[in-house]
Amino acid sequence: MSFRFASCAAAIGALALSACSPQPGEAGEINLFTARHYASDQAVYAAFTEETGIRVNVLEAPADQLIERLRAEGARSQADVVITVDAGRLWRAEQAGLFQPAPELAGVLENVPDNLRHPEGHWFGFASRVRVVVFSRERADGSQITDFLDLADESWRGRLCVRSSNNVYNQSLLAGLIDAAGAERAEAWAAGIAANMARAPQGGDTDQIRAVAAGECDAAIVNHYYLARLQRSGDSADRAVADAVDMAFPSLAGQGSPFNVSGAGLAANAPNRENAIAFLTFLLSETGQRQFAELTNEFPVIEGAAYDNEVLDSYPEILAVPVNVNVLGENAPAAQRMFDRVGWP
Amino acid sequence: MALSPALRQAYPVWPALFAALICAAPLVAVAALAVSGEWTGYLAHLWATRLPDYLWVTLQVTALSGAVAAVTGAGLAWLVARYDFTGRGVFEWLLAVPLAVPAYAAAYGWYDLTQGAGPLGFLPTVRGPAGAGLILGLTLYPYVYLLAREAFSGQSSDAYEAARTLGARPFEAFRRAALPLARPAIAAGMALVIMETLADFGAVAHLGAPTLTVGLIRAWAGEGATAEAARLALMLVAFAFLIFALERTQRARARQTNASGRRKPARRVQLGWAAGLGAVALCLTPVLLGMVIPLARLSYRALHAPVTRDLVSAAQNAVLLAVIAGVLAAIIGLAAAYALRTGKMRGVFAARTAGLGYAVPGAVAALGVLAILSALQGGLDAMWTNLFGTQFPLLVTGGIAALIFAYLSRFAAAAIGPSESALARVTLTLDAAARTLGANGRETAWRVHRPLISRGALLAALLVFVEVLKELPATMILRPFNFDTLAVIAHNYASDERLGEAALPALLIALAALPAMVWIARRIIRAEAAP
Repeated sequence: MSFRFASCAAAIGALALSACSPQPGEAGEINLFTARHYASDQAVYAAFTEETGIRVNVLEAPADQLIERLRAEGARSQADVVITVDAGRLWRAEQAGLFQPAPELAGVLENVPDNLRHPEGHWFGFASRVRVVVFSRERADGSQITDFLDLADESWRGRLCVRSSNNVYNQSLLAGLIDAAGAERAEAWAAGIAANMARAPQGGDTDQIRAVAAGECDAAIVNHYYLARLQRSGDSADRAVADAVDMAFPSLAGQGSPFNVSGAGLAANAPNRENAIAFLTFLLSETGQRQFAELTNEFPVIEGAAYDNEVLDSYPEILAVPVNVNVLGENAPAAQRMFDRVGWP
Repeated sequence: MALSPALRQAYPVWPALFAALICAAPLVAVAALAVSGEWTGYLAHLWATRLPDYLWVTLQVTALSGAVAAVTGAGLAWLVARYDFTGRGVFEWLLAVPLAVPAYAAAYGWYDLTQGAGPLGFLPTVRGPAGAGLILGLTLYPYVYLLAREAFSGQSSDAYEAARTLGARPFEAFRRAALPLARPAIAAGMALVIMETLADFGAVAHLGAPTLTVGLIRAWAGEGATAEAARLALMLVAFAFLIFALERTQRARARQTNASGRRKPARRVQLGWAAGLGAVALCLTPVLLGMVIPLARLSYRALHAPVTRDLVSAAQNAVLLAVIAGVLAAIIGLAAAYALRTGKMRGVFAARTAGLGYAVPGAVAALGVLAILSALQGGLDAMWTNLFGTQFPLLVTGGIAALIFAYLSRFAAAAIGPSESALARVTLTLDAAARTLGANGRETAWRVHRPLISRGALLAALLVFVEVLKELPATMILRPFNFDTLAVIAHNYASDERLGEAALPALLIALAALPAMVWIARRIIRAEAAP
């Protein structure tokens, strides 16, 4: 028996050595760490490869895991570009020293609004999304929902749906409110929302919209593109859900709407730096910007970028909170503890 | 039993020590992180706010999933092992297949069906601790089913028949004669179910049943407090240790059960058509609830979604990883079982340590693996630079070895249970007889043990195979570029609330598990038929 175990031990050893296979990193490619899981992003990569001949190697994973891996790999990391879907995560990666500035991008970045990029250019948003309120056409009055603070009012008792505070979009919303209204008012607001919930938080943003349509609640806090997705769905049941509701773009304590970004940065130890710069530039190009607006219903960050998307066109002019999205990261831990204290599960 | 120490100790302990080293490494790394990391006061904050709630929900969810799995798994195993009815041959393996459905996929499907806007909106919505416990129980019961079926069909029918002869009704005879003999197997299965439940994140988070693991992931994701997350992970491990201890008392109590070593396989009782129909309905229930209905809902969503990914290569990757990990884990399981048999302190210690990693939520275990690999990489780089002037090739990005290491460290526990309960069936008197007839230790293992334990080892390999097919966090964090598995694709879509796109890969996981299930079931049946 011991002989067999010995041979198995040898087999495990051999496997470990098989790790020494050729590495990516020769000319003509970039290695991308991305927390975006949109199939349509493949189309963006394909367009990039077609234009430049540079191949895109992809590793998709949740942002926290990507950050841990980058940190563990250190100087040996193969990552060139890192993409996440929340400014808070970009902030954390930047704090851990996982990005490097890219002076080559200075010219392109001038077209990106100041508040959607890192003050020293360590990362930038290439598409943006806004947290909104979806409400029942029958049971709620959109004109009464002009500010997120309104939803904490007693008149909304038992009428709200919102997902768990585990979700980073909610964390960033509260982090933004802490900046806009101060910690004390922000905490009182979170307590008010927790008191106004129609049911314990469950499901994702889409499920909150469905709950409004089904009459479980009168309004829900979600990201704008989830409704856009239902409106453009091939399933008639989904479109019926979308028809039963409407969308309001409330302000955050009177400061403007809470925007967040899908953002990218140049990895600190990027082995293919030049190609990475080309890729980052492409994200902000006419083609790239158009694809985000048309395929994922996100807002382009470049002013006046051309695209064809009826749903986005139907929105009114939305004024963004003027503050830099970087704060969302700085305030995130405080926001999470607030959620714990007020009992927003 | 005077002979026993010498016989017990005929087998080496070092393979188990080696296995324990692999399995315990991530746990040790997590513990090191917990001890050395920065204290941010988060635990104190948690204690004052959410922790009592997390613990209470954890208790409810694990108790419910454990109970559902035990009743469903053991009951149906008995039915299939002892009764004959139309379709029995199919149900024998079909009942194991829901294990291939990731719990979060079942949770997404059921929630989508039963929420207010869903087609089954008139039913109570599947959510909260009750919903999560049910879903986890219905997707994990095959652990109990597989182990219990193995125990029931390997059981000599003497005790049961004696009870019947003495006038006990069938259920009474089952409860008092057959059940106690299968108790170690059922307990081992339940321990796996409970640990898997403890470590689950996807299902409990979606259904709004925040367990300790949700708190842990929050500490890590929300605060970036890796060390605090590690401390919470140690709490989970302590919980698992308790479960293990309970399971072992069950096993110890069952020690005397195979006194004769003689097996008189039970003849299956033929059921009449009405009872047969009832049996079919019973067998169909968990398969429908745990697999068919939620996957059908996801498939309906798939009709309205484009297929955009290369699922073929993702399936190949998943199966390759699962086969390698399954085989290696079975070997580790056997090594640990033999080490336990020796009764030597370090053998037992090694085997128990190897089993503990299972309750660590995958995401945290993966962090441990990552820490170990990066330390290893640093050391190798330094050495390599001295020797050859170049850096050592990358461990993580370079291949699948890192993944296999992570799988083994996490799932070896699933392999140790079946091996141990199979080896328990080989009594020391059998060893003594073989030795008296002149066989040495190796011959005894090959000619006496192998036929008796091969089913256990196959089962161990199967469990790990299925686990790896649906494994997420370690695969996520450790895989090379452009390398996806079915579970990764399914999860990425589901987490992006694209149930339709998630459906096909989730279905394929179940399909990929099917051939293995059927093959193993056949092997087990053939082993039963052989003298």
